[in-house]
Amino acid sequence: MANRTYEVMYIIHPDTDGERVEKLNEAVGKLIEKEGGEIVRMDDIGLRELAYPIQKKTEGHYVLFEINGTGQEILELERRMRVNDMIMRYVTVRVDEERKTAEKRRTKRETRATKRASFRQAPAEATEEAPSAEA
Amino acid sequence: MADQELEVLNDRVDLGVGEDVIGDRPRRYQRRRPRQVIPDYVDWKDVDFLRQFVPERGKIMPRRISGISARDQRRLAKAIKRARSMALLPFVAD
Repeated sequence: MANRTYEVMYIIHPDTDGERVEKLNEAVGKLIEKEGGEIVRMDDIGLRELAYPIQKKTEGHYVLFEINGTGQEILELERRMRVNDMIMRYVTVRVDEERKTAEKRRTKRETRATKRASFRQAPAEATEEAPSAEA
Repeated sequence: MADQELEVLNDRVDLGVGEDVIGDRPRRYQRRRPRQVIPDYVDWKDVDFLRQFVPERGKIMPRRISGISARDQRRLAKAIKRARSMALLPFVAD
């Protein structure tokens, strides 16, 4: 299977103490690596106010992972997260495709810009040369 | 001109519902220019950016008001919905 990039974000119950949060994150990292995924980025965002209450809590501990992998590790990870009481909510977003199209658009725009710039420069140089030649 | 446009915009956002009608008669829309640039990759985690398109009520701003392209609106709407599911943005705010 092709290589894919995912963003996995989960919200941990705010009453969980720091030690257990760390342990959980470590366990997630280990699981991903065991299943053949590669962790690109791991970001412990920390306690953040929720936009609406979840399980009657107004706060949550956010953690974000960016993973390169086949999708197999996501399957296992989601299965574990579903049964974990500490995790109030999780989401996985596949980002590689959208990033690729974004990159494409960017390069396209850039080449167009350089083309336009070179087109504009040519006549400008011509007019500049004219008075200098007179002097 | 720019100030005036902004005023009208705020006015509508405050109304929340019945945006088409200001006063008694329906208002005709002018094509608006987008006031903000949409990046090539719309990050669903960038709450501060997405908030520009979510007025107080929590609804997604219609394209006729923000003036952005259809493609951008689709990408933006998706990002907002993802952010909502993770409680980064509200479904409804009051």
